[in-house]
Amino acid sequence: MQDVTGSASPIAVSVRDVGMVYDGFHAVKSASFDLPAGKFLTILGPSGSGKTTLLRLIAGFQAPTSGEIVINGKAVSAVPAHQRSIGMVFQKLALFPHMTAAENVAFPLKMRRQDARTIPERVERYLDLVKLGGYGGRRIHELSGGQQQRVAIARALVFEPDLLLLDEPLAALDRKLREEMQLEFRRIQRELGVTTINVTHDQREALVVSDEIIVMDAGEIQQKAQPTRTYRNPQNAFVANFIGVTNFISGAVRSVAGSNAVLAHSAVEIPGIVGDERNPPRAGGQASGAIRAEQIRIAANARSLSGLDIVLEGSIRDAIFEGERIVYEVCVPALAGEALRVFDHDPVDHVQFEPGAAVSIGWNSRDVLVFNN
Amino acid sequence: MRAARTAYPLTWRIMDVLEAFAAFVWPTSFRRAIPYLLLAPALLLVGLLVLGLIQIGDLSLRTLDTSTFLLSENYTLANYRKALTEPLFVVVATRSLTGSLIVTVVTLIFAFPYAYLMVRTRSAGLRKFLLIALFLPFFIGQVVRAYGWLIILGNQGMVNEALGLIGVAPLRLLYNYPAVLFGLVQYMLPFAVLMLAPALTAIPEELETAAASLGANWVHSFIHVVLPLARPGLVGAGLVVVTLSLTDFAMPAILGGGSQDFIANAIYDQFFRTSDQGLGATLALMLVALGSLLVGIVFTLFGAGTLAMGRARQ
Repeated sequence: MQDVTGSASPIAVSVRDVGMVYDGFHAVKSASFDLPAGKFLTILGPSGSGKTTLLRLIAGFQAPTSGEIVINGKAVSAVPAHQRSIGMVFQKLALFPHMTAAENVAFPLKMRRQDARTIPERVERYLDLVKLGGYGGRRIHELSGGQQQRVAIARALVFEPDLLLLDEPLAALDRKLREEMQLEFRRIQRELGVTTINVTHDQREALVVSDEIIVMDAGEIQQKAQPTRTYRNPQNAFVANFIGVTNFISGAVRSVAGSNAVLAHSAVEIPGIVGDERNPPRAGGQASGAIRAEQIRIAANARSLSGLDIVLEGSIRDAIFEGERIVYEVCVPALAGEALRVFDHDPVDHVQFEPGAAVSIGWNSRDVLVFNN
Repeated sequence: MRAARTAYPLTWRIMDVLEAFAAFVWPTSFRRAIPYLLLAPALLLVGLLVLGLIQIGDLSLRTLDTSTFLLSENYTLANYRKALTEPLFVVVATRSLTGSLIVTVVTLIFAFPYAYLMVRTRSAGLRKFLLIALFLPFFIGQVVRAYGWLIILGNQGMVNEALGLIGVAPLRLLYNYPAVLFGLVQYMLPFAVLMLAPALTAIPEELETAAASLGANWVHSFIHVVLPLARPGLVGAGLVVVTLSLTDFAMPAILGGGSQDFIANAIYDQFFRTSDQGLGATLALMLVALGSLLVGIVFTLFGAGTLAMGRARQ
């Protein structure tokens, strides 16, 4: 309970140097973070990054090989899963098929020996909360995918747990329903104020629902920050690459001055900002400049890009129409023929470049983050 | 020419010829008959069984003339009256029925943890060991196994010798009811485990994890989640064990030593000892009726769908 990170609310979950080793494989390597009560945290990472393992350790399905997990001030390593007050929504929902929706929601109350007379009222209240009022008598297989999700949420919340864990429950849904459920999770979490940890590989979901995002890779926490910060100030090349569409231009570091660094690629000098202050590039070393696809402008000629710091000539290699935007791959001779991905969100003038067309691209130096290779 | 040959290999030509021949012998318009054709062997077998049952039914209505040892020409229900009133047959029937029920319950209690461990263990080695241990006795016939128990449990058997070493007087372990039931349980265990294992495999492990996260300890998780979902497997295994035990012959004959006859032994005696084919046929029919009644009760209580024979529900 010591390191309260500036915020007023107490720490609900504290993960301290937690590690997990299976048969010599380090699934989680010494992860540490604190989560204030009432916050929505998303652990984001590719498959095999250790995010699900970390969640299962918090849930108590496995014991960590090192470190300690503290929930509401109590170390829980010795507490079995069924004695922790944690609601969990599983990837495959894990609803009990032989029970009705209401019986599923009543299950944790019965297991906790709640007064049987209050159970129906409480179950109905939580079914109302997830907008399933009146559906209690339905069997699980009589409900649609979205309704089953809602039953799983009600079941995980009905016993008012200290902590709600979401193990990629939305992964199997189609896109429309998934986006609807993301907002639904957000609404319910705000309404109840329950501390929540969500695990996903979907960066959009992480950005939409979370107060905080932890990006994990190879069993290590890469960055923990608010969504906008995670997106705009990725702490290392992995985070920059994993979230959003990012171009990496590698080159030799020409000079470093304060938070500014200049890369040289072929004959072009590319100024940028130092991405990771704790691991800054050094002059003479190799580094990569990361720039988002939406931060590069594209135009038919250089004159329309006159306000930008860097303007280069190129030719369209591929043009992919994605509806709300067009994704171009632009071949840049000045960068030894390297191809950069560029988003064009501006189809107002109905211009679409065809492959082979000569174009100009440009960007501002403050949008280039320089990371050590 | 060569190019043409590689483009259309010899095997394809042979297939063409075969297909043309098949089309000549069995034109496509006959194709709808194929399912019925495939059903024919089974129907033939069931038909023969029904014929046999009619024959037995006919026999059961004739009484044995003890002076000539011939069956009577006229039909009478005397055999049925005898079977239902003769104390010996009532004792045998009660013994078989209670025996098969006890065997079923005990077998299911033993088989469940075995099947559960076999399905859920993460160790491939342990799973293999459990499977082999299950299948090995399958290769040894029931009669041989029963003789094996005679050797182990006899007055000079291994068990009594071991007891003798610690100063216990020889126990009479054979030729009694518990010995028969013991032999039957040991014989039925693999059947029950093999019927239970698929049913337990069908229960996602995540459901038990979910139950734990919702506050259920393993006892509650077992009672409220695993057991109800394993019901189809339990019903199926129970049906197999109860019918096989009810109609068993070898275990009561060998481990019971003639003093613990089941219905099948009584039927055997009527046919081959007293040569009263009429009474034997009557007992056989009543055994069929008793078995069908049991299966019927189980189906009405749990529904035929519990055997996972209906279409899977979405």
